[in-house]
Amino acid sequence: MTEMNDDKLTVAAAKLGTEISPQRDLWPGIAEAIRMPRRVRRTSMFAQAAAIVLLVGASSGVTYIAVKGQQGPVTQLTPNLVFEQTAYASRYNPGPGFEEARDELAAQLDVELARLSPQTRADIAANRQVLREAILDIQNALENDPDNALLQARLVKAYREELSVLRRVGGLTRNVMMRNDI
Amino acid sequence: MSALLTANRSDYSQTMLPTTADGFADEAAWINRAQRSDTRAFESLYRLHVDKVYGLCLRMTGNVSEAEDCTQDAFIQAWNKLAKFRGDSAFATWLHRIAVNTVLGRMRSSKREQDRIQAVAETSAAPLATGDVGELRDLSEAVDKLPAGARHVFVLHAVYGYSHEEAGSMLGIAAGTSKAQLHRARRLLAQQLKQQGFEE
Repeated sequence: MTEMNDDKLTVAAAKLGTEISPQRDLWPGIAEAIRMPRRVRRTSMFAQAAAIVLLVGASSGVTYIAVKGQQGPVTQLTPNLVFEQTAYASRYNPGPGFEEARDELAAQLDVELARLSPQTRADIAANRQVLREAILDIQNALENDPDNALLQARLVKAYREELSVLRRVGGLTRNVMMRNDI
Repeated sequence: MSALLTANRSDYSQTMLPTTADGFADEAAWINRAQRSDTRAFESLYRLHVDKVYGLCLRMTGNVSEAEDCTQDAFIQAWNKLAKFRGDSAFATWLHRIAVNTVLGRMRSSKREQDRIQAVAETSAAPLATGDVGELRDLSEAVDKLPAGARHVFVLHAVYGYSHEEAGSMLGIAAGTSKAQLHRARRLLAQQLKQQGFEE
């Protein structure tokens, strides 16, 4: 306040009362408000929890979008494209589109599997073996009943699942690699 | 007014916690107990500081009802934030900061509410019960009529003695802005008070 020391206004302002008694006792209202223990703090915790949920949701969404966009050439091998070329009746093998896709994925798989733990590799091999056996069983059944639509559908489904497993393995190892890179 | 305040404090002291041997309230002990959710200790702190907080709220708002609400809100907020008080500043200063934030927060929160307060203030001819007499009463009434920004700076700087840096920090403005607002307040006050002999 040194700027205004010689000023009558300043001197008068400094004399104004700084302590003024309220015309009524304000404590009862305060006491009632603080009787509820730490209400504001609890609200704050709810707000924090909501913020955490939003954060996790948003980060999951971003991760999903980012990973979804990094499927690489494997995602371009759509099952529809593959199985449109599948032949039935006298020949119970998939068409050339499927064979090409499976060969490409199998080649990638050998590279990708090397990055996985022995236990994971064993699990994947076991799953593929089950699928292969199922495909062989269905093919054998179709030998006896070439026009069985149900068996045909199951064969298509088994092929789809085999491709799906190959694709998931590729995605899994790519994610592992990305985390290591970070 | 000081005699009135002393009398009030004497009445309150019968319900408050014990004081130390030298007659002064053991504020630190009350703070410590209040931080452990002792409402009686907090009431003692309230009784000790309510006049300072209410005075600041009344000077800043220029409205009795609003000042009462701000005072209550300030003490409720102080209760909720008490665990964070580490004694880095005086408890009264800490309370003052909370009170200023409360006043500003309430002013920002609702334009409609401000319009209502302004309307009430304009229709109420009764001067504020600040305890000021004579020329000081004229000055007090003139301060109440200042625009909010100028009034806040004038109250904190000229009445309560805070530096421009401190007032700016409390009000969320730069020290330079605080100086400019003070200059504006002085000019407006001079215009209002010219006829009462307050000439710069």
